[in-house]
Amino acid sequence: MEKDNIIEVKNLHVDIAMTEGTLTPVRGVNFEIKRGETLGLVGESGSGKSLTCKAILGINDKKCKASGQILFNSKESGEMDLLSLNPKGKEIRNVRGKQISMIFQEPMVAFSPMYTIGNQINECTLLHITKDKKKAKEISMEVMRKVGIANVEKRYNQYPHEFSGGMLQRALIAMALVCNPDMLIADEPTTALDVTIQAQILELMKEMQKEFNMAILFITHDLGVVARMCDRVAVMYLGKVVESGDAKTIYANPQHPYTRGLIGSVHKIGGKKEERLFSIEGTVPLAMNLPEACGFYDRCDARIEGLCNKADPELVEIEPGHQIACFNCPHEACKAQRAKAEQMIKEREERETAKAANEPAKSKKKKWGRK
Amino acid sequence: MNSENILEVKHLHKRFASKGVVVKAVTDVSFDVKPGETIGIVGESGCGKTTLGRCIVRAYDASEGEVFYRTRDGEELDFLKVDRKKMKSIRKEIQMVFQDPYSSLDPRMTVLDIIKEPLKANYPKMSKAEMDQRAKDMATKVGLNPTYLMRYPHAFSGGQRQRIGIARALILNPQIIVCDEAVSALDVSIQAQVINLLHDLQKEMKLTYLFISHDLSVVEHISDKVGVMYLGKMAEFAETEELYAHPLHPYTEALLSAVPVADPTVQIERIPLQGEIPNPANPPSGCYFHGRCRYCTEKCKTETPEFVELKPNHFVACHRAKELSLRGFAYDTKPEAKDE
Repeated sequence: MEKDNIIEVKNLHVDIAMTEGTLTPVRGVNFEIKRGETLGLVGESGSGKSLTCKAILGINDKKCKASGQILFNSKESGEMDLLSLNPKGKEIRNVRGKQISMIFQEPMVAFSPMYTIGNQINECTLLHITKDKKKAKEISMEVMRKVGIANVEKRYNQYPHEFSGGMLQRALIAMALVCNPDMLIADEPTTALDVTIQAQILELMKEMQKEFNMAILFITHDLGVVARMCDRVAVMYLGKVVESGDAKTIYANPQHPYTRGLIGSVHKIGGKKEERLFSIEGTVPLAMNLPEACGFYDRCDARIEGLCNKADPELVEIEPGHQIACFNCPHEACKAQRAKAEQMIKEREERETAKAANEPAKSKKKKWGRK
Repeated sequence: MNSENILEVKHLHKRFASKGVVVKAVTDVSFDVKPGETIGIVGESGCGKTTLGRCIVRAYDASEGEVFYRTRDGEELDFLKVDRKKMKSIRKEIQMVFQDPYSSLDPRMTVLDIIKEPLKANYPKMSKAEMDQRAKDMATKVGLNPTYLMRYPHAFSGGQRQRIGIARALILNPQIIVCDEAVSALDVSIQAQVINLLHDLQKEMKLTYLFISHDLSVVEHISDKVGVMYLGKMAEFAETEELYAHPLHPYTEALLSAVPVADPTVQIERIPLQGEIPNPANPPSGCYFHGRCRYCTEKCKTETPEFVELKPNHFVACHRAKELSLRGFAYDTKPEAKDE
């Protein structure tokens, strides 16, 4: 693991066993985040963004089985693989909420309506920082002040329903920052908010990032927010990262057809007023019994028949720091991969025809079991 | 009523009373709609845009004011005053598409039943076969496969459900559609599909849209005219490009500067809007916006500004609109290469 990386996710898979078969919402995700950097994880709903970040903290549902590696560079205990830790054990609890914390999508749902805001923020302080209740209250109030909540003495004893959406999101950020974490996971933190409040919250997050020198993993489907917040972007589709790179590069020069479609379907104010928006036809398929093919094949406008539906492209580097998983791309690395895949398909087909010729009798074999 | 207009909203008020507290959800809103136009209504949550939409379909009875409507037969009437029977015939011409495609469809009805329910309610004598046929035609029109109509809503994705909602609204062949946050719950790529569909249907069926949304970029794309609402009042109303390029109300300016632009090279200086939308049960004195406005003067705190036509077709409610020069979006100044 490289020194300045705070986290490295390697070949992360999440499987969910269901009666109909195995659902694989995350199929081999790779990314890394440096200290103090913001990585945006973008994609449609159902692309596995939330499951990926929940896997980092080990807070996925019991049914979800995560495999792969999540290396975390902890200040306290050095390098560790978060996935190998017991999700109920001491070690992960020392990470969760203290070194890596999370902001959830809907502030209204994230707080318990039964306890005061102060009580809920204090829970984290008491658990990780100090056992002294008076001190803990002071620390919690200080953080509440930092995130721009006015009249803290009164607010501390109020219940979530007395807060507005924007204020609750601020309180949630306060709760996440109270232990001064090295990394913050923000799962669609502004989706439920108005544009003006959204702008306030985003600015607050940027300020806090500077002050605490945190890395942020920012999950969203709003490309405008990504452009404002992130240093680097990873675009996810059907459980895989299909393109990743510098935010400026990706917006100016998107290479994967999915990224192009995603950026094209956002109307820009002040841009050319076309009659129709560019749209990607169809929807994200269900991640079950997926064939060995590019996940985007059915919706892609640059697909190559006989190649893209028979092999799955890997993420390759086309420029320093810019990676893409697509066969139909003029860069050298992609071409090399394409040639390799073509070769592989050819060999496989030859093998299959040979096999079929050798065993013509197999189909006549009596079938056992129920139909 | 002006002969060119299909709908005229005049001094519409809506008040809700609960536990002795009167909440003014909509206060003195007026605007005109021409046939075939799309009117966008934007504002923060709690500004009364949904209430306005519901008053216009008369799901709520307005407290005061008039909504003049020209029926397809050319009859002019103030439909806030017509009786129930007449209202039923007018409702056929004004339909609504709802925000959340997950809760606006009955999970225990098949999609076919959902789409033909308006027919059952309005044409009780129509034969079942004809209803089915019409529902199937409408499903095809909005891009649903008619063979899937016997399924239940849970089997459809968000975008498809919104198409079902649109089919249900269109089956009575309406003149006006009120879209209340019709694309807000969808992903961007699906949003683009639904917006394109709405656009095509508008051309084909000569529809008039009232498009209520909080997403300023979607509204800019789809609307001919835009109204900005703040705390139940219309702050500004103008043609889209005019409003986005030369806003006259400080609230519009602040709202526009807060829109995230999907281009990391563009750095817009955001105009800070302090605090949050005040409680509509206890609105501030004078101009409702004065507490958050950076151009506020003494006059703004005491006197309520009139909603006046400052430029042709550009209405604004601000005391200082004439003297201020506010910043909008720069049109066509970016190099072409950045456009996809």
